[in-house]
Amino acid sequence: MKKELKLTVNGQPYELYVKPKTLLVQVLRDHLALTGTKRGCNESSCGACTVILNGMAVKSCSILALQADGGKVQTVEGLASGTKLHPIQRAFLDHGAFQCGFCTSGMLMVSTALLNENPKPTKEQIKEGIDGNICRCTGYNSIIRALTAVAKGEYKEGK
Amino acid sequence: MSSKYSVIGQRVHRVDGPEKVTGNAKYTFDLVLPSMLYGKILRSPYPHAKILSIDTSKAEKLIGVKGVVTGKDTLGKKQGIWRRFPELCDEEILCREKVRYIGDPVAAVAAIDEDTAEEALDLIEVEYEPLPAVYDPMEAIKEDAPQIHDGVELNINVTRHIEWGDVDEAFKKCDYIREDQYRCSSQAHMCMETHDAVASFDYSGKLTVWTSTQSAYYIQALLAGMLDLREGDVRVIKPHTGGGFGSKFELDSSQFCACILSMKLCKPVKIVLTREEEFTATKRRTPMYYYLKLGAKKDGILLAKEARVITDGGAYTGMGATALYLTGFFSSFPYKYPNYRYDGYRVYTNTGPTSAMRGFGAPQAVFAGESQLDMLAEHLGIDPVEIRRKNGMTPNYEVPGQAYIQSCGLHQCLDEIDKHIKKRGKLPPNRGIGIAAYGFMSGGIFNWFDTPYAFSSALIRINIDGKVDLFTGACEIGQGSDTTLSMICAEELGIRLEDIRIHAGDTGICPPDLGSWGSRETLMNGNAVKMAAADAKSQLMEFAAAKMGVNITYDLDIKDRWIHIVNRPERGVSYFDIVKQAIRGRDGEAIIGRGHYTPHRKGMISPAYSFGLQAAEVDVDPETGRYKLINVTTAHESGTVINPVGIEGQLEGAIMMAGGYGFCEDQPMDDGKILNPSIADYKLIRSVDMPETEILEIDTYEPEGPFGAKEAGEGLTNPTAGAIANAVYNAVGVRITDLPITPEKVLRALKEKEKKGKKSK
Amino acid sequence: MIKDFEYLAPKTLKEALTLLDKYGDDCKIIGGGQSLLILMRQGLIAPKYLISIKGLSELSYIKETKEGLNIGALTTHRAIEKSPVIQKKFSVLAEMEQRLASIQTRNWGTIGGNLCHGEPAGDPAPVLIALKATLTIASLKGERSTAVEDFFVDYFEVALEHGELLTEIQLPAAPPRTGTAYTKFNVIQSDLATVGVAVSITLGSGDGICQDIRIALGATAPIAMRAKKAEEVLRGKKVTDNLLKEAGEVASTEAQPISDIAASEEYRRELVRVLVPRMAKEALTRAKA
Repeated sequence: MKKELKLTVNGQPYELYVKPKTLLVQVLRDHLALTGTKRGCNESSCGACTVILNGMAVKSCSILALQADGGKVQTVEGLASGTKLHPIQRAFLDHGAFQCGFCTSGMLMVSTALLNENPKPTKEQIKEGIDGNICRCTGYNSIIRALTAVAKGEYKEGK
Repeated sequence: MSSKYSVIGQRVHRVDGPEKVTGNAKYTFDLVLPSMLYGKILRSPYPHAKILSIDTSKAEKLIGVKGVVTGKDTLGKKQGIWRRFPELCDEEILCREKVRYIGDPVAAVAAIDEDTAEEALDLIEVEYEPLPAVYDPMEAIKEDAPQIHDGVELNINVTRHIEWGDVDEAFKKCDYIREDQYRCSSQAHMCMETHDAVASFDYSGKLTVWTSTQSAYYIQALLAGMLDLREGDVRVIKPHTGGGFGSKFELDSSQFCACILSMKLCKPVKIVLTREEEFTATKRRTPMYYYLKLGAKKDGILLAKEARVITDGGAYTGMGATALYLTGFFSSFPYKYPNYRYDGYRVYTNTGPTSAMRGFGAPQAVFAGESQLDMLAEHLGIDPVEIRRKNGMTPNYEVPGQAYIQSCGLHQCLDEIDKHIKKRGKLPPNRGIGIAAYGFMSGGIFNWFDTPYAFSSALIRINIDGKVDLFTGACEIGQGSDTTLSMICAEELGIRLEDIRIHAGDTGICPPDLGSWGSRETLMNGNAVKMAAADAKSQLMEFAAAKMGVNITYDLDIKDRWIHIVNRPERGVSYFDIVKQAIRGRDGEAIIGRGHYTPHRKGMISPAYSFGLQAAEVDVDPETGRYKLINVTTAHESGTVINPVGIEGQLEGAIMMAGGYGFCEDQPMDDGKILNPSIADYKLIRSVDMPETEILEIDTYEPEGPFGAKEAGEGLTNPTAGAIANAVYNAVGVRITDLPITPEKVLRALKEKEKKGKKSK
Repeated sequence: MIKDFEYLAPKTLKEALTLLDKYGDDCKIIGGGQSLLILMRQGLIAPKYLISIKGLSELSYIKETKEGLNIGALTTHRAIEKSPVIQKKFSVLAEMEQRLASIQTRNWGTIGGNLCHGEPAGDPAPVLIALKATLTIASLKGERSTAVEDFFVDYFEVALEHGELLTEIQLPAAPPRTGTAYTKFNVIQSDLATVGVAVSITLGSGDGICQDIRIALGATAPIAMRAKKAEEVLRGKKVTDNLLKEAGEVASTEAQPISDIAASEEYRRELVRVLVPRMAKEALTRAKA
């Protein structure tokens, strides 16, 4: 039996009607057509589905949508403001911190959550922070360089 | 204009960057079409069995199911990427009479949603007659082994032989000879986007397929063949693609089954393989059993090498024949062997088919060869860098009767790594640095696909506003070809990167290209793009010369949108002005430039080779055998660096993948069943496990390549496993000869060494 | 593929216990679901009813008491990892949490859910056993208490009866001069433990005498276990390198590991043999500090 679900996604409130078994990632991708969030596995291991729920990075494939009822979700589509990219997005562009791009949305979201919580992480903290996200293309180091640059303040407003 | 180049060599944003960092890049995975159905594939649970009957009636009756197909719904053709050799086209994909590995497809369902399709799979009743199966190539070549393919004796699928000189005579002259055996494991590509396809067959009899692929052209040609359609009636479109690494340039089950279903139902059908299917039912790296015999004089000059390799082919050929050849060829790299002999045997087994994976047989060759070379050097008392110096290839070297190497920066790489090692100084106990050298091809010359087309082609259209559309069949799979090719185009045309819009990987509008594999795009497609740009440029310059009324002795060129006299750069006209006038002058007809490239008379293998040397530093815990990858430093040369950010990314990504091959990635099997078909169980390097990486770029110039560029990205996966093996040996004195080099193997070897009381070799 | 189910979200513990009692075998409790959803997606579990207790904030807390520390069963791993009081008084717990799975999993998954999942290679269990933790289990009938080391029955099977729900974990305050250390051995840092070893040592007033000791092992048996015989080697004795070595050897024979794709039985025993003395030394250092 479907149940009502209220969710705010990227600042926009939604009212949906979903089967209980619906995962949060399915609501985002299939119901709201926000396909920026990807799925790379069915077993909570790859991190490609990472979004920010109530301020925390979570794997959206591992959360029942109904458990997020009343919550606030931020996806990759909510990072930029209009045409103004988020500092982390700019850093990723500058450092070539992505290649095929399939893990990138999840990487950006886990990084955003990390830097929201701790604006000046050490390199070790950055490595640990993104450890839940697999990237098969970059070997991670360019991502770490991008985030280190953000942590150092190289992407502050006005730069 | 101060620097030699305006665009190439610059650190630029990837042209697909803005889309990817905003989540706007659309992959096949994201594609939804109106009235689209979702497909799922039923696969064999047996490693080897006859299909006696398939009853799909119950599945067809399930509400929401729109169609079910089996092998009987196909034309019963067999396909393979080695089209020139029909005996190697051995894969039906949707099996009709026999299944040959656990995961071999037998049926497919299309339904209104994935869950219904999956439910329907359980309702398909297949009656199998299990047959005896064989999993080990050493067993499969025995007389009494079950025969996997009709007419293939001893399950020997392909053999290859490479020889020059006289190894037997040469061994007699050697002061020291070693014989060693190595076992190279399988590896999963682990693309973040699994294999997927949306096929749409319409009432006009035309088929459109969107798919995650490395070669839209191959998929088009293979589908046309299998479905008896004209190539022109099959359009393959490659949206953004989430990785390939060698797994996505052959026709796979998601594509074929989606097409069969779509043709039956005249509706779009989408099939996305699950991660488990990705592990078990897509092709994987070819496991190899290596026997090497190496002979040298006591001063370290190598006289002869003999390699005998048996590769585990799995159930079908795929690209395995190429991996078999290349492993033998690259076993002779990067050294000057006066005498060499290779015999390779690819043997069918009832396991998932093995095929191409980044490195294409070379990582295996380098792991074995570089391990053995270090052992030989140690015995002769020669420093590992030194022995490589004595024997390393040099520019303009001919591999006798095989290949001609023009540019080669191996010796500079050796010098840089030598400096790096000396700088590291004396290491603490249980720490070691190991090196491995490689040379790799920039695309292959052989035409086993029997294509009538140029290997690469490109089309450029200069529009009236000066914006350039670049059409190429080259497939961006993350490796950066869209950006690199756009940079080459911009450089040649003398305009900026943002003036180019690239259209790639759509057979409906792009000229054919063999695809992104064998590290061919930069050199081959780069040359095609450069030629097309030069063609368009010359048309433009013809007009410019006339318009500017320059003396015929003056050279005109374009740089940074400024068409000018070379010796008097201040005398010029804006590119945009000239374009507008030139096109107006042709009644509004855009300027078209055409380019193509097929290597001719460049030896048998490749038009150019890139070289490098990698040093891996490990820290071993001798009580547990566990080791940490501390640092991987690579000196490499890839000719002119077109896209430096791209190359760095390729190198670091290669280290993750190749490091994984040496360190942790494996696909253990039991009776043909892969035991770890999940990311949780398939160990791969994550950010915390990733070593520090350092890149030492060596400057070389390859005459065959566009602006002097050659491959970078695949060769870089060759050395890491070998470097790790040598590093572990240098750290704690044990040599692991079978991949991956796990802590358990290291500890076991350490204990044996302790027992023996002497260094184990 | 997840099978359909009815979703119930009780607002209070009492409501949850009532539903749990009512639906019995037809239902499953879901906390963060970080373990449960994996099993449901694989089709290994298909309950008719899912009772979501994630919203029961009354079960999410970290409270200091006279006796020690109480942690609500629905406290997330991340909250434990970041808790200042836990970092100060039970640092080994925070350290263990820091290496558990990934940040995303820790943000949503709960300590109670982890324990009830009964994963033999789970990290919290051996650490809590070493810390002598106890559990409160509630049902409509009331509450009962049990030691963590008695909570595990078999692979993925815990000692919860019909209608019972884990509500709280209690950590007794460590006696003075106590140190606890935990390590998990794996190849990839975020993997499940190939072997997990937790050691807690309480030094007596005498010079270097081990007054009390606990050695808890993970991933070496169907359940997290104490290596009691190994403990006896050190209990009441002055800690020496030889004794530590012996304790490791005894622990490696007590363990009952299996061979699987991650490691052979023999290797796991070897790891226990090496890691028990290592963790005991670390615990000793912390006890002296």
